[in-house]
Amino acid sequence: MKKGDKIMASIVLGMLIVSSLGVFLYRYVQPKDRLIAEVVQEDVVIQTMDLGLVEKMQTMSIVNDKENKNVIQVEPGKIRFVDADCPDQVCVHAGWLTKPGDVAVCLPHKIYIRVLGEKEDVDSTAY
Amino acid sequence: MQSVNKISLIAIIVIAFMSITVGCKEPKQAITYRQLYLMGTVIQIKVLDTPSPSIDLAIEEAATRLQEIEDKMSINKDTSEMAVVSQQAGKDKVKVSEDTFFVLQQAVQYGEETQGSFDPTIAPIVKLWGIGTTHAKLPKQEEIEFLLPVVDYKDIWLNPATLEVKLPKKNQAIDLGAIAKGYAADEVKKIFEKHAIQSAFIDIGGNILTIGTKPDGSKWKMGVQNPLEPREEHVGIVSIQDQTLVTSGNYERYFEEDGVRYHHIFDPRTGYPVDNELMSTTIISDMSMDADALSTSVYVMGLTKGKAFIESIEGVEAIFITKDQKIHMTSGAEKIFIITNKEYVNEKR
Repeated sequence: MKKGDKIMASIVLGMLIVSSLGVFLYRYVQPKDRLIAEVVQEDVVIQTMDLGLVEKMQTMSIVNDKENKNVIQVEPGKIRFVDADCPDQVCVHAGWLTKPGDVAVCLPHKIYIRVLGEKEDVDSTAY
Repeated sequence: MQSVNKISLIAIIVIAFMSITVGCKEPKQAITYRQLYLMGTVIQIKVLDTPSPSIDLAIEEAATRLQEIEDKMSINKDTSEMAVVSQQAGKDKVKVSEDTFFVLQQAVQYGEETQGSFDPTIAPIVKLWGIGTTHAKLPKQEEIEFLLPVVDYKDIWLNPATLEVKLPKKNQAIDLGAIAKGYAADEVKKIFEKHAIQSAFIDIGGNILTIGTKPDGSKWKMGVQNPLEPREEHVGIVSIQDQTLVTSGNYERYFEEDGVRYHHIFDPRTGYPVDNELMSTTIISDMSMDADALSTSVYVMGLTKGKAFIESIEGVEAIFITKDQKIHMTSGAEKIFIITNKEYVNEKR
Protein backbone atom coordinates (compact mmCIF):
# COMPACT_ATOMS: atom_id res chain seq x y z
CA MET A 1 0.00 0.00 0.00
CA LYS A 2 1.35 3.35 -1.08
CA LYS A 3 1.32 6.46 1.06
CA GLY A 4 -1.42 8.01 -1.11
CA ASP A 5 -3.59 4.94 -0.71
CA LYS A 6 -3.19 5.14 3.04
CA ILE A 7 -4.30 8.78 3.07
CA MET A 8 -7.24 7.95 0.82
CA ALA A 9 -8.20 5.01 3.05
CA SER A 10 -7.98 7.24 6.13
CA ILE A 11 -10.14 9.90 4.52
CA VAL A 12 -12.75 7.38 3.43
CA LEU A 13 -12.67 5.79 6.87
CA GLY A 14 -12.99 9.17 8.54
CA MET A 15 -15.95 10.06 6.36
CA LEU A 16 -17.59 6.74 7.15
CA ILE A 17 -17.20 7.30 10.87
CA VAL A 18 -18.49 10.86 10.75
CA SER A 19 -21.47 10.03 8.56
CA SER A 20 -22.51 6.95 10.50
CA LEU A 21 -22.09 8.85 13.75
CA GLY A 22 -24.27 11.60 12.29
CA VAL A 23 -26.96 9.15 11.30
CA PHE A 24 -26.73 7.50 14.71
CA LEU A 25 -27.14 10.81 16.51
CA TYR A 26 -29.96 11.88 14.22
CA ARG A 27 -31.90 8.68 14.72
CA TYR A 28 -31.42 8.00 18.38
CA VAL A 29 -30.74 11.27 20.07
CA GLN A 30 -32.31 14.12 18.21
CA PRO A 31 -35.94 12.92 17.93
CA LYS A 32 -36.23 12.52 21.70
CA ASP A 33 -35.14 16.07 22.32
CA ARG A 34 -37.99 17.53 20.33
CA LEU A 35 -41.49 17.78 21.67
CA ILE A 36 -43.80 19.22 19.09
CA ALA A 37 -47.26 20.17 20.26
CA GLU A 38 -50.27 20.86 18.08
CA VAL A 39 -53.51 22.66 18.79
CA VAL A 40 -56.28 21.21 16.62
CA GLN A 41 -59.68 22.85 16.29
CA GLU A 42 -62.45 21.21 14.23
CA ASP A 43 -59.82 18.94 12.65
CA VAL A 44 -57.66 21.89 11.57
CA VAL A 45 -54.21 22.42 13.07
CA ILE A 46 -54.34 26.03 14.25
CA GLN A 47 -51.01 26.14 16.03
CA THR A 48 -47.80 24.11 16.20
CA MET A 49 -45.05 24.72 18.69
CA ASP A 50 -41.81 23.17 19.86
CA LEU A 51 -42.22 22.69 23.61
CA GLY A 52 -38.47 22.29 23.91
CA LEU A 53 -38.02 25.90 22.80
CA VAL A 54 -40.51 27.34 25.27
CA GLU A 55 -38.63 29.44 27.79
CA LYS A 56 -41.29 30.87 30.00
CA MET A 57 -44.92 30.23 30.84
CA GLN A 58 -47.40 31.49 28.26
CA THR A 59 -51.14 31.26 28.01
CA MET A 60 -53.43 31.66 25.06
CA SER A 61 -57.18 31.83 24.83
CA ILE A 62 -58.97 30.18 21.97
CA VAL A 63 -62.52 31.32 21.39
CA ASN A 64 -64.55 29.58 18.71
CA ASP A 65 -67.37 31.03 16.65
CA LYS A 66 -69.90 30.01 19.31
CA GLU A 67 -68.03 32.09 21.93
CA ASN A 68 -66.75 28.93 23.66
CA LYS A 69 -63.42 29.47 25.31
CA ASN A 70 -60.44 27.23 26.07
CA VAL A 71 -57.28 28.53 27.70
CA ILE A 72 -54.08 26.73 26.83
CA GLN A 73 -50.91 27.10 28.85
CA VAL A 74 -47.36 26.17 27.87
CA GLU A 75 -44.27 25.90 30.03
CA PRO A 76 -40.86 24.51 29.11
CA GLY A 77 -41.50 20.95 27.89
CA LYS A 78 -45.22 20.85 28.62
CA ILE A 79 -48.66 22.02 27.56
CA ARG A 80 -52.18 21.81 29.03
CA PHE A 81 -55.70 23.15 29.03
CA VAL A 82 -55.65 25.35 32.11
CA ASP A 83 -59.22 26.55 31.79
CA ALA A 84 -62.33 26.02 29.68
CA ASP A 85 -65.95 27.05 29.89
CA CYS A 86 -67.19 23.61 28.86
CA PRO A 87 -69.47 21.70 31.26
CA ASP A 88 -67.43 18.55 31.76
CA GLN A 89 -63.88 19.95 32.24
CA VAL A 90 -62.42 16.69 30.91
CA CYS A 91 -59.77 18.65 29.01
CA VAL A 92 -58.65 20.49 32.14
CA HIS A 93 -58.62 17.27 34.18
CA ALA A 94 -56.26 15.75 31.62
CA GLY A 95 -53.49 17.90 33.11
CA TRP A 96 -50.05 18.48 31.62
CA LEU A 97 -49.01 16.79 28.41
CA THR A 98 -45.31 16.03 28.57
CA LYS A 99 -44.60 13.00 26.39
CA PRO A 100 -45.00 12.05 22.73
CA GLY A 101 -48.50 10.70 22.15
CA ASP A 102 -50.07 12.61 25.04
CA VAL A 103 -53.39 14.16 24.14
CA ALA A 104 -56.10 16.22 25.84
CA VAL A 105 -59.48 16.69 24.22
CA CYS A 106 -62.27 19.18 24.77
CA LEU A 107 -65.14 17.36 23.15
CA PRO A 108 -67.86 20.00 23.57
CA HIS A 109 -65.71 22.60 21.78
CA LYS A 110 -64.14 20.18 19.30
CA ILE A 111 -60.60 21.21 20.15
CA TYR A 112 -57.66 19.13 21.28
CA ILE A 113 -53.98 19.46 22.00
CA ARG A 114 -51.45 16.73 21.43
CA VAL A 115 -47.76 16.07 21.53
CA LEU A 116 -46.65 14.53 18.26
CA GLY A 117 -45.03 11.14 18.14
CA GLU A 118 -45.85 7.64 19.18
CA LYS A 119 -46.15 6.51 22.74
CA GLU A 120 -43.16 4.45 23.71
CA ASP A 121 -44.69 1.75 25.83
CA VAL A 122 -48.37 1.37 24.98
CA ASP A 123 -50.54 1.49 21.86
CA SER A 124 -53.39 3.18 23.70
CA THR A 125 -54.91 3.51 27.17
CA ALA A 126 -58.34 2.40 28.39
CA TYR A 127 -60.05 4.88 30.69
CA MET B 1 1.09 -5.09 5.38
CA GLN B 2 0.14 -4.79 8.99
CA SER B 3 -1.24 -1.27 8.54
CA VAL B 4 -3.41 -2.52 5.70
CA ASN B 5 -4.85 -5.17 8.00
CA LYS B 6 -5.47 -2.55 10.65
CA ILE B 7 -7.23 -0.27 8.22
CA SER B 8 -9.37 -3.03 6.82
CA LEU B 9 -10.22 -4.17 10.32
CA ILE B 10 -11.34 -0.67 11.28
CA ALA B 11 -13.22 -0.41 7.99
CA ILE B 12 -15.07 -3.64 8.74
CA ILE B 13 -15.97 -2.43 12.21
CA VAL B 14 -17.19 0.90 10.86
CA ILE B 15 -19.23 -0.74 8.12
CA ALA B 16 -20.69 -3.16 10.64
CA PHE B 17 -21.57 -0.24 12.88
CA MET B 18 -23.13 1.58 9.97
CA SER B 19 -25.20 -1.42 9.04
CA ILE B 20 -26.55 -1.47 12.59
CA THR B 21 -27.44 2.19 12.63
CA VAL B 22 -28.43 2.68 9.03
CA GLY B 23 -28.92 -0.68 7.36
CA CYS B 24 -31.45 -2.16 9.69
CA LYS B 25 -33.49 0.95 10.04
CA GLU B 26 -36.93 -0.52 10.61
CA PRO B 27 -39.45 0.46 7.93
CA LYS B 28 -41.69 3.22 9.16
CA GLN B 29 -44.91 1.77 10.51
CA ALA B 30 -47.55 2.08 7.83
CA ILE B 31 -50.65 3.42 9.44
CA THR B 32 -54.08 4.77 8.56
CA TYR B 33 -55.55 6.92 11.27
CA ARG B 34 -58.93 8.55 11.70
CA GLN B 35 -60.46 10.53 14.52
CA LEU B 36 -64.21 11.01 14.80
CA TYR B 37 -66.42 12.91 17.19
CA LEU B 38 -69.46 10.72 17.67
CA MET B 39 -71.56 9.15 20.41
CA GLY B 40 -70.64 11.99 22.72
CA THR B 41 -66.97 11.09 22.71
CA VAL B 42 -63.75 10.91 20.70
CA ILE B 43 -63.39 7.86 18.51
CA GLN B 44 -59.98 6.87 17.22
CA ILE B 45 -59.49 4.28 14.54
CA LYS B 46 -56.02 3.02 13.70
CA VAL B 47 -55.39 0.54 10.94
CA LEU B 48 -51.81 -0.67 10.83
CA ASP B 49 -51.52 -0.92 7.10
CA THR B 50 -50.56 1.40 4.27
CA PRO B 51 -53.43 3.75 3.42
CA SER B 52 -55.49 2.34 0.55
CA PRO B 53 -58.91 2.91 -0.98
CA SER B 54 -60.23 -0.30 0.58
CA ILE B 55 -59.16 0.80 4.08
CA ASP B 56 -60.69 4.23 3.49
CA LEU B 57 -63.88 2.52 2.43
CA ALA B 58 -63.91 0.35 5.56
CA ILE B 59 -63.37 3.40 7.80
CA GLU B 60 -66.07 5.34 5.94
CA GLU B 61 -68.47 2.45 6.41
CA ALA B 62 -67.55 2.25 10.11
CA ALA B 63 -68.15 6.00 10.56
CA THR B 64 -71.57 5.71 8.92
CA ARG B 65 -72.46 2.76 11.13
CA LEU B 66 -71.36 4.61 14.29
CA GLN B 67 -73.48 7.61 13.32
CA GLU B 68 -76.42 5.30 12.71
CA ILE B 69 -76.05 3.69 16.15
CA GLU B 70 -75.83 7.10 17.79
CA ASP B 71 -78.93 8.32 15.94
CA LYS B 72 -80.92 5.30 17.07
CA MET B 73 -79.71 4.83 20.63
CA SER B 74 -78.58 8.16 22.05
CA ILE B 75 -80.73 9.46 24.85
CA ASN B 76 -79.48 12.97 24.07
CA LYS B 77 -81.19 13.11 20.71
CA ASP B 78 -84.91 13.80 20.96
CA THR B 79 -85.57 11.93 17.76
CA SER B 80 -83.66 8.74 18.61
CA GLU B 81 -85.60 5.51 19.05
CA MET B 82 -84.48 5.37 22.65
CA ALA B 83 -85.72 8.90 23.30
CA VAL B 84 -89.10 8.10 21.73
CA VAL B 85 -89.44 4.95 23.88
CA SER B 86 -88.78 7.10 26.95
CA GLN B 87 -91.19 9.83 25.80
CA GLN B 88 -93.90 7.17 25.46
CA ALA B 89 -93.25 5.72 28.93
CA GLY B 90 -96.52 4.96 30.70
CA LYS B 91 -98.39 5.59 27.45
CA ASP B 92 -97.65 3.46 24.44
CA LYS B 93 -95.44 0.81 22.92
CA VAL B 94 -92.90 1.84 20.27
CA LYS B 95 -91.57 -0.14 17.33
CA VAL B 96 -87.79 0.04 17.07
CA SER B 97 -85.11 -1.17 14.64
CA GLU B 98 -83.53 -4.60 14.95
CA ASP B 99 -80.29 -3.01 16.19
CA THR B 100 -81.94 -1.19 19.04
CA PHE B 101 -84.11 -4.16 19.91
CA PHE B 102 -81.06 -6.43 20.07
CA VAL B 103 -79.14 -4.05 22.35
CA LEU B 104 -82.21 -3.67 24.58
CA GLN B 105 -82.57 -7.43 24.86
CA GLN B 106 -78.90 -7.68 25.80
CA ALA B 107 -79.28 -4.88 28.35
CA VAL B 108 -82.16 -6.70 30.04
CA GLN B 109 -80.12 -9.89 30.04
CA TYR B 110 -77.18 -8.15 31.73
CA GLY B 111 -79.67 -6.82 34.26
CA GLU B 112 -80.75 -10.39 35.01
CA GLU B 113 -77.24 -11.86 35.07
CA THR B 114 -76.00 -9.15 37.43
CA GLN B 115 -79.17 -9.16 39.55
CA GLY B 116 -79.79 -5.53 38.84
CA SER B 117 -76.26 -4.16 39.28
CA PHE B 118 -76.57 -3.29 35.62
CA ASP B 119 -79.78 -1.42 34.98
CA PRO B 120 -80.48 0.58 31.83
CA THR B 121 -83.57 2.15 33.43
CA ILE B 122 -81.23 4.27 35.59
CA ALA B 123 -81.80 7.06 33.05
CA PRO B 124 -84.09 9.30 35.18
CA ILE B 125 -81.47 9.27 37.98
CA VAL B 126 -78.66 10.07 35.51
CA LYS B 127 -80.71 12.99 34.22
CA LEU B 128 -81.56 14.24 37.70
CA TRP B 129 -77.89 14.49 38.70
CA GLY B 130 -76.82 15.92 35.33
CA ILE B 131 -73.18 14.92 35.83
CA GLY B 132 -71.09 16.08 32.89
CA THR B 133 -73.55 18.87 32.04
CA THR B 134 -73.70 22.52 33.07
CA HIS B 135 -76.54 21.82 35.49
CA ALA B 136 -74.85 19.09 37.55
CA LYS B 137 -76.09 19.27 41.13
CA LEU B 138 -76.60 17.28 44.31
CA PRO B 139 -80.32 16.39 44.20
CA LYS B 140 -82.60 16.44 47.21
CA GLN B 141 -83.17 13.07 48.89
CA GLU B 142 -86.90 13.23 48.10
CA GLU B 143 -86.21 13.80 44.40
CA ILE B 144 -84.16 10.60 44.33
CA GLU B 145 -86.77 8.68 46.33
CA PHE B 146 -89.45 9.85 43.95
CA LEU B 147 -87.62 8.42 40.92
CA LEU B 148 -86.15 5.21 42.40
CA PRO B 149 -89.35 3.15 42.01
CA VAL B 150 -89.22 3.56 38.22
CA VAL B 151 -85.66 2.22 38.08
CA ASP B 152 -86.19 -1.46 37.32
CA TYR B 153 -85.03 -3.25 34.19
CA LYS B 154 -87.66 -5.95 34.81
CA ASP B 155 -90.31 -3.43 33.76
CA ILE B 156 -88.99 -3.23 30.19
CA TRP B 157 -91.55 -4.91 27.98
CA LEU B 158 -90.16 -6.41 24.78
CA ASN B 159 -91.99 -8.15 21.98
CA PRO B 160 -89.48 -9.93 19.69
CA ALA B 161 -92.15 -10.79 17.12
CA THR B 162 -93.00 -7.16 16.41
CA LEU B 163 -89.81 -5.43 17.69
CA GLU B 164 -91.97 -3.37 20.02
CA VAL B 165 -90.80 -1.90 23.32
CA LYS B 166 -92.77 -0.39 26.16
CA LEU B 167 -91.96 1.23 29.45
CA PRO B 168 -95.07 0.78 31.59
CA LYS B 169 -94.51 3.54 34.16
CA LYS B 170 -94.58 7.28 33.77
CA ASN B 171 -91.12 8.92 34.10
CA GLN B 172 -89.38 5.71 33.09
CA ALA B 173 -86.51 6.01 30.63
CA ILE B 174 -83.69 3.92 29.24
CA ASP B 175 -80.04 4.92 29.00
CA LEU B 176 -77.94 2.58 26.89
CA GLY B 177 -74.79 4.59 27.64
CA ALA B 178 -73.18 1.71 29.53
CA ILE B 179 -73.51 -0.72 26.63
CA ALA B 180 -73.93 1.14 23.32
CA LYS B 181 -70.25 2.03 22.89
CA GLY B 182 -69.33 -1.62 23.32
CA TYR B 183 -71.94 -2.64 20.78
CA ALA B 184 -70.63 0.02 18.41
CA ALA B 185 -67.07 -1.29 18.71
CA ASP B 186 -68.25 -4.83 17.93
CA GLU B 187 -70.07 -3.50 14.86
CA VAL B 188 -66.92 -1.74 13.63
CA LYS B 189 -65.06 -5.00 14.09
CA LYS B 190 -67.59 -6.79 11.87
CA ILE B 191 -67.11 -4.18 9.15
CA PHE B 192 -63.30 -4.38 9.36
CA GLU B 193 -63.39 -8.17 9.19
CA LYS B 194 -65.58 -7.98 6.12
CA HIS B 195 -62.93 -5.76 4.52
CA ALA B 196 -60.18 -8.22 5.54
CA ILE B 197 -58.40 -5.73 7.78
CA GLN B 198 -55.92 -7.74 9.81
CA SER B 199 -54.38 -5.31 12.24
CA ALA B 200 -56.31 -2.43 13.78
CA PHE B 201 -57.73 -0.98 16.91
CA ILE B 202 -60.73 1.17 17.71
CA ASP B 203 -60.89 3.41 20.74
CA ILE B 204 -64.38 4.68 21.51
CA GLY B 205 -63.93 7.09 24.38
CA GLY B 206 -61.50 4.81 26.20
CA ASN B 207 -63.24 1.56 25.25
CA ILE B 208 -60.63 -0.29 23.24
CA LEU B 209 -61.14 -3.11 20.81
CA THR B 210 -58.28 -4.79 18.96
CA ILE B 211 -58.39 -6.67 15.68
CA GLY B 212 -55.69 -9.26 15.13
CA THR B 213 -52.18 -8.58 16.35
CA LYS B 214 -49.74 -5.86 15.41
CA PRO B 215 -48.21 -6.38 11.95
CA ASP B 216 -45.09 -7.99 13.46
CA GLY B 217 -47.29 -10.59 15.16
CA SER B 218 -46.86 -9.16 18.64
CA LYS B 219 -49.79 -8.44 20.93
CA TRP B 220 -51.24 -4.99 21.43
CA LYS B 221 -50.02 -3.24 24.52
CA MET B 222 -52.87 -1.35 26.13
CA GLY B 223 -52.54 0.78 29.23
CA VAL B 224 -55.00 0.81 32.10
CA GLN B 225 -55.61 4.35 33.29
CA ASN B 226 -54.13 5.43 36.62
CA PRO B 227 -57.29 6.67 38.41
CA LEU B 228 -55.32 9.28 40.37
CA GLU B 229 -53.45 10.79 37.45
CA PRO B 230 -54.45 12.77 34.40
CA ARG B 231 -55.54 11.01 31.25
CA GLU B 232 -52.98 8.77 29.52
CA GLU B 233 -51.00 7.90 32.66
CA HIS B 234 -51.31 4.18 33.20
CA VAL B 235 -50.82 1.82 36.14
CA GLY B 236 -49.97 -1.15 33.99
CA ILE B 237 -50.12 -2.76 30.59
CA VAL B 238 -52.42 -5.45 29.24
CA SER B 239 -51.21 -7.52 26.27
CA ILE B 240 -54.07 -8.63 24.07
CA GLN B 241 -55.03 -9.68 20.57
CA ASP B 242 -58.52 -9.86 19.09
CA GLN B 243 -59.87 -8.76 22.44
CA THR B 244 -61.38 -5.72 24.00
CA LEU B 245 -60.55 -3.67 27.08
CA VAL B 246 -63.07 -1.45 28.82
CA THR B 247 -62.56 0.54 32.02
CA SER B 248 -65.13 2.19 34.26
CA GLY B 249 -63.88 4.65 36.84
CA ASN B 250 -64.91 7.31 39.30
CA TYR B 251 -62.46 9.83 37.84
CA GLU B 252 -63.76 10.59 34.40
CA ARG B 253 -67.00 12.47 34.79
CA TYR B 254 -67.77 14.01 38.14
CA PHE B 255 -68.46 17.19 40.02
CA GLU B 256 -67.48 18.24 43.49
CA GLU B 257 -69.62 19.86 46.14
CA ASP B 258 -68.48 20.62 49.69
CA GLY B 259 -65.34 18.58 49.08
CA VAL B 260 -67.22 15.43 48.06
CA ARG B 261 -66.80 13.97 44.61
CA TYR B 262 -69.94 12.77 42.87
CA HIS B 263 -69.13 10.61 39.85
CA HIS B 264 -71.21 9.20 37.03
CA ILE B 265 -71.59 5.51 37.93
CA PHE B 266 -74.83 5.11 39.86
CA ASP B 267 -76.03 2.39 42.14
CA PRO B 268 -79.50 1.50 40.79
CA ARG B 269 -80.60 0.57 44.31
CA THR B 270 -79.75 3.87 45.99
CA GLY B 271 -79.83 6.44 43.18
CA TYR B 272 -76.45 7.79 44.37
CA PRO B 273 -73.01 7.42 42.80
CA VAL B 274 -71.51 4.08 43.81
CA ASP B 275 -69.48 4.55 46.98
CA ASN B 276 -67.33 1.51 47.67
CA GLU B 277 -63.62 0.58 47.86
CA LEU B 278 -63.11 0.84 44.09
CA MET B 279 -61.60 3.56 41.90
CA SER B 280 -61.86 1.62 38.66
CA THR B 281 -62.73 -1.68 37.09
CA THR B 282 -61.36 -3.00 33.81
CA ILE B 283 -62.80 -5.89 31.85
CA ILE B 284 -60.98 -7.89 29.17
CA SER B 285 -63.15 -10.03 26.92
CA ASP B 286 -63.87 -11.01 23.33
CA MET B 287 -67.03 -8.96 22.88
CA SER B 288 -66.84 -5.26 23.62
CA MET B 289 -70.51 -5.08 24.57
CA ASP B 290 -69.84 -7.63 27.32
CA ALA B 291 -66.82 -5.69 28.55
CA ASP B 292 -68.74 -2.42 28.50
CA ALA B 293 -71.74 -3.73 30.46
CA LEU B 294 -69.64 -5.80 32.86
CA SER B 295 -67.17 -3.03 33.77
CA THR B 296 -70.09 -0.94 35.01
CA SER B 297 -71.78 -3.94 36.66
CA VAL B 298 -68.77 -5.05 38.69
CA TYR B 299 -68.03 -1.46 39.70
CA VAL B 300 -71.52 -1.41 41.22
CA MET B 301 -71.06 -4.88 42.79
CA GLY B 302 -67.83 -3.93 44.53
CA LEU B 303 -64.56 -5.84 44.74
CA THR B 304 -65.47 -9.13 46.43
CA LYS B 305 -68.73 -9.82 44.67
CA GLY B 306 -67.50 -8.39 41.36
CA LYS B 307 -64.35 -10.49 41.31
CA ALA B 308 -66.23 -13.69 42.14
CA PHE B 309 -68.77 -12.86 39.44
CA ILE B 310 -66.12 -12.40 36.73
CA GLU B 311 -64.26 -15.56 37.82
CA SER B 312 -67.49 -17.43 37.12
CA ILE B 313 -67.62 -16.31 33.48
CA GLU B 314 -65.34 -18.09 31.06
CA GLY B 315 -63.26 -15.95 28.71
CA VAL B 316 -63.73 -12.76 30.71
CA GLU B 317 -61.09 -11.26 33.00
CA ALA B 318 -61.06 -8.25 35.29
CA ILE B 319 -58.68 -5.82 36.97
CA PHE B 320 -59.87 -3.90 40.03
CA ILE B 321 -58.10 -0.83 41.39
CA THR B 322 -59.05 0.12 44.94
CA LYS B 323 -58.84 3.49 46.69
CA ASP B 324 -55.88 2.28 48.77
CA GLN B 325 -53.97 1.80 45.47
CA LYS B 326 -54.08 -1.97 45.43
CA ILE B 327 -54.74 -3.98 42.30
CA HIS B 328 -56.82 -7.12 42.39
CA MET B 329 -57.04 -9.39 39.36
CA THR B 330 -58.90 -12.46 38.23
CA SER B 331 -56.67 -15.50 37.66
CA GLY B 332 -56.57 -15.06 33.88
CA ALA B 333 -55.72 -11.37 34.12
CA GLU B 334 -52.56 -12.21 36.10
CA LYS B 335 -51.16 -13.75 32.92
CA ILE B 336 -51.67 -10.76 30.64
CA PHE B 337 -51.40 -7.70 32.88
CA ILE B 338 -48.14 -6.19 34.13
CA ILE B 339 -48.17 -3.46 36.76
CA THR B 340 -45.73 -0.73 35.72
CA ASN B 341 -46.48 1.90 38.35
CA LYS B 342 -44.69 1.14 41.62
CA GLU B 343 -47.23 3.07 43.66
CA TYR B 344 -49.70 0.27 43.00
CA VAL B 345 -49.44 -3.11 44.69
CA ASN B 346 -50.67 -6.41 43.32
CA GLU B 347 -52.93 -7.74 46.01
CA LYS B 348 -53.18 -11.48 45.61
CA ARG B 349 -55.73 -13.26 47.65
